[in-house]
Amino acid sequence: MDEQLQEDWLEARLREEAPYIDDAGFTAQVMQKLPAPQAKRSFRGVILIVLTLIASGLTYYLSDGGQFVLQAARQIAGTNFLLLCEIAFVCGLLVTGFATSAAIQAARHR
Amino acid sequence: MPLDDAELVTRVLVEDDQHAFAELVRNHQSAVRGLLRQLARNDLGLADDLAQETFVRAYRNLARFRGEAKFSTWLYRIAYNCFREDARKRKELVGIDENQLEAEYDPQTVDPALRHDLMHALQMLPIHERSAIVLCCQNGLSHDEAARVLEIPLGTVKTNVLRGREKLRKMLSAWGPA
Repeated sequence: MDEQLQEDWLEARLREEAPYIDDAGFTAQVMQKLPAPQAKRSFRGVILIVLTLIASGLTYYLSDGGQFVLQAARQIAGTNFLLLCEIAFVCGLLVTGFATSAAIQAARHR
Repeated sequence: MPLDDAELVTRVLVEDDQHAFAELVRNHQSAVRGLLRQLARNDLGLADDLAQETFVRAYRNLARFRGEAKFSTWLYRIAYNCFREDARKRKELVGIDENQLEAEYDPQTVDPALRHDLMHALQMLPIHERSAIVLCCQNGLSHDEAARVLEIPLGTVKTNVLRGREKLRKMLSAWGPA
């Protein structure tokens, strides 16, 4: 019984003996020692630009010199001006909504 | 809402988010530094150097963390390896034998404060018993988790904890419950 009591006592003292150690600049020192972020993002950008150029070239070639763009421009030119303004306004609202929501999400995770 | 370890690790890996890694360091620095302080016999400078090395290694090898064990267990393992490598360099891993233990432990010279006695007693233990005691009794790891950290069989961990506690009990017998 005495042994058990002493075991419990020892267990409790050992747990007490692990106090919280204040950071005191430790994290900042570790962060300074970390290797710089890898350059994979710049590669990602280059790959995206190259793919975009290839896709644009293919589209231009397959659409007979971009005829569909001219057709669309003609259609828009023939559309009611007020309707165009309304479409532009709704698109603006949608883009602003998405951008605000993304900014709020990003701020929460920081 | 604070993110858990798994989410922070994912952010570091996917987005290369160093803020997330800083959060991981802040969350675990106390436990890792505490463990290394005990292993390094309270040499605070050495313990903090090893703790920094532990987190830098963790960052470099984060992709190897599979999430099978807790992140803290994985960190302790890196910390223990850092300590072991350093001790090997310093040739200190031999531990202390029983005769040395008795020779070093002189109740007359020990500070009367219990805390000091307990620290002193812990530091008198051989490294394998000290590590097992610190991980299981102070850091709250299960025997199984401690076995993974120390890379030794489960039975050996249990034996080391039992032996270490028995020695501590003897060394601190004067203090026990009234």
